[in-house]
Amino acid sequence: MSQEIRVALAGNPNSGKTTIFNALTGSRQHVGNYPGVTVEKRTGTFDISDTRVHVTDLPGTYSLSSYSPEEVVAQRELVDAIPDVMVVVVDSTTLKRSLVLLAQIMQTGDRIVLCLNMADEARTAGQKLDKPALETLLGFPVVETVGHKGQGISELKDAILKASQLERTPSRLVLGERLDTALAAITFHIAKTDIPKATHPWHAVKLLLDDPLYVDRLMEKKGPGKRAVQQAALERKKLEDLCGEDISLFVTQRYYGFVDGLLRETLLRSAHIDTRALSDRIDAFVVNKVAGIPVFLLVMYAIFWLTFTVGEYPMEWIEDLFAWSGDAINGAWPEGKLDVLRSLIVDGILAGVGGVVVFLPNIILLFLGLAVLEDTGYMARAAFLTDRLMHRFGLHGRSFIPMITGFGCTIPGIMATRTMENEKDRLTTMLVLPLMSCGARLPIWMLLIPAFFPPEHRASMLFGIYAIGIVLAFLLALLLRSTLLRGEEAPFVMELPPYRVPTMRSVVGRIIDRSGAYLKKAGTIILAISMLMWVLTSYPKPPEVVDVPAEQQPSALEYSIAGRIGKFIEPAIAPLGFDWKIGVATLGAFAAKEVFVSQLGVIYAMDDFDEDDDEDIGTLRDALARDYTPLVGFSLMLFLLIATPCMATVAITRREAGSWKWAFLQFFGLTAIAWVISFAFFQIGSLLL
Amino acid sequence: MNAAPTPNTELTSALEDYLETIFELVKERKVARVKDIVKARNVKSASVIPALRRLADLGLIHYTKRESIDLTETGEATARRIYSRHKLLVRLFRDFLGMPAELALQDACAMEHNLSDAGVDHLVRFFEFLQSCPDGHDFIERFKGCALVNAESPQDIATCCAKLALSPNDPNIISLRQLKPGQGGSVIRIQGTGAIRQRILDMGIMPEVHIQLERRSPAGDPLWVRVQNSQISLRKKEADMILLRKDTPADTNAP
Repeated sequence: MSQEIRVALAGNPNSGKTTIFNALTGSRQHVGNYPGVTVEKRTGTFDISDTRVHVTDLPGTYSLSSYSPEEVVAQRELVDAIPDVMVVVVDSTTLKRSLVLLAQIMQTGDRIVLCLNMADEARTAGQKLDKPALETLLGFPVVETVGHKGQGISELKDAILKASQLERTPSRLVLGERLDTALAAITFHIAKTDIPKATHPWHAVKLLLDDPLYVDRLMEKKGPGKRAVQQAALERKKLEDLCGEDISLFVTQRYYGFVDGLLRETLLRSAHIDTRALSDRIDAFVVNKVAGIPVFLLVMYAIFWLTFTVGEYPMEWIEDLFAWSGDAINGAWPEGKLDVLRSLIVDGILAGVGGVVVFLPNIILLFLGLAVLEDTGYMARAAFLTDRLMHRFGLHGRSFIPMITGFGCTIPGIMATRTMENEKDRLTTMLVLPLMSCGARLPIWMLLIPAFFPPEHRASMLFGIYAIGIVLAFLLALLLRSTLLRGEEAPFVMELPPYRVPTMRSVVGRIIDRSGAYLKKAGTIILAISMLMWVLTSYPKPPEVVDVPAEQQPSALEYSIAGRIGKFIEPAIAPLGFDWKIGVATLGAFAAKEVFVSQLGVIYAMDDFDEDDDEDIGTLRDALARDYTPLVGFSLMLFLLIATPCMATVAITRREAGSWKWAFLQFFGLTAIAWVISFAFFQIGSLLL
Repeated sequence: MNAAPTPNTELTSALEDYLETIFELVKERKVARVKDIVKARNVKSASVIPALRRLADLGLIHYTKRESIDLTETGEATARRIYSRHKLLVRLFRDFLGMPAELALQDACAMEHNLSDAGVDHLVRFFEFLQSCPDGHDFIERFKGCALVNAESPQDIATCCAKLALSPNDPNIISLRQLKPGQGGSVIRIQGTGAIRQRILDMGIMPEVHIQLERRSPAGDPLWVRVQNSQISLRKKEADMILLRKDTPADTNAP
């Protein structure tokens, strides 16, 4: 590549920006974090002619004010990183509002491409734009795209290349005489500092708006910087007195004024067909007073049903595959040679990893459900329906998405709390999130529910355990919000995009993304822990006692390190109905929740093997059903639902909350609550039954 | 010589105060004695006597040693004028501007001697207007409710006044929250400050824009509104910040 350029992709939420990003970069992307703040950073590359283009997908924002972390990050990328080209993605069906962001971005730099996305929907609505006129007025390329169909992407790439070679020209943004004059007066002083020229108008408007971020920056520049700030204060006072409005409204109105002018000259025909009509009719039914909540519950239940019932079949195939592999290795292994290695592979690795991989179908189906909810737009409706409830418990409608994500995995759920503007809302959501039964706990339910409950009750048991988690999360949130985390709440002003048919590409992409992460965990942490557990459960070997009959031989597992740890903690968990075997497996669940299953697998395989019992135990479920009562089973489910978020959760909470204090509070608090609830359940249950 | 008024003919502020005191005493007890004046003004009788002599010289009081003091006809008129001025200023500071009573009295005393007759006349008319005008009482109450409460922030005063001035009189001017599902209106003003206000503006909700309430969440909150081509949900508390003029049937029937 003879040349490299950097491109930033900006746009409103729901503008299809990420679809455009995916279409541009394909699989050449990287997802990371912005340093210092906790907003996701997506970057990727593509090549065009002999140029390599590095694309950064900025967080979706409606404007570039400085109230949310997303807005601050987007500003930093646009104003401070100074990309070579800025692509502004707008939803063609809401041009008026979307173009305000373009107007702001025109103040942060001059090499821009305007990407009119969802052009097909706008055309269907009867909207007709004079694109050449728009290009002439703006002075930079305008491209029409249909992101999810991949239309206009090659034109967009060409336009990006073209824009990168554009002469740097003064911005053609006109915000009316009064505001332009005021901005010019402020810019006069900014020009004497070392702030890059292209961003002068942006600095000027931010000073006028009294944005502390920029006021501080200019104050650091001493003389001319201070004069710019003073000038801004003067101009602000003048404008406010003149118009009798506060400055933020005045400036926002001038942006809209610019957009109005632009559209007056370029909109040949405005939309006259209501393309939302169908979407609105669906909403009239789906979110109305009577059907809203039942439909919501039905949708949630359907997702769990899909995960549980449909997921059962492929699960069996994978189970069979692992069992067959184990048998094949056992059969093919040369008799008597390196038996330890054989045991490690079959009893340690295959049993451990197999026990986790077997739940991949469930994970995929759950993420399929969530991806469809997200892509159709129902997720926003769900927030609308649930906000009152969330709000009553001190949470925010925006907590809903992270908490739903928490059903998949607590880690992305905690990461998704980054969209919340209020620190206390965010911490509360983060701390109670482990109570949302995550995908890694699904294998546990899959193992335990069929082991202890008859088929006709299984779906409702699963629904029940999720419901208990949700109710506890709410109660705990309320408690936190009225004690440790008392304080103000953030705004709930949210767009409800029209329903859209989800595209295969996006849904599959999301599933691959997330199940990939699950498999990766299985391949690394869980593999390592499986091996460690194998060692702990295999060594030291019990001494042969020749004189006693086989039944009285000490069990190898009991004799091993794991067994001893289990025995050691048994007094603490006995009141919950657990024995030392469960204790051992529960310790493993701290490493990763699903390890509980593989651990039990290892424990039972080892136990069985060493006892040299002829009786075929069959699956783990049968073994569990044999050893424990359903009462113990449910007590165990409660404990695993509430107690000890996994290692990775503790680590991510520490990182996102910024201190060990919250991570420890979460860890010990939840474990204590779990113990109390399981104890109460088991003891009361024992009395009643 | 004639430029400088002789001390004997000038009614100084101190003398005005004495005159006022005598007026009050006479009004109260029909008669004013030196010791009463000494007591009321909290001064020594040595300084009262010369002042009384001067007032007598000016022809404002009848004063003879050890006798009760009475006002002359001119004296009573002058005293009445000074007294009503005093009363007026105390009321202005205490009742209209909401100052503490003691401070109001102090400021009234400092000010009463320096106002011109025309100034007093205008103030009197202004307060008579406030008292007799039907909105006058509300006006004073609003001033106390907004400006006195929000003394620190001029912006809050403006917001508060806008709310008061717009809402009570015109039944069609209501907050977004008060709309019924299916009703609409055009935005007049967005109240409040900071993040919520900016978010509302960013969503395209600003003066002149038409907004319609589509529905409420089954639980009653949040609300679902249509603004131009997009649909937005927001909580009641946020909807409270958006003032609008409700569509009348005429608006709805318009093409």
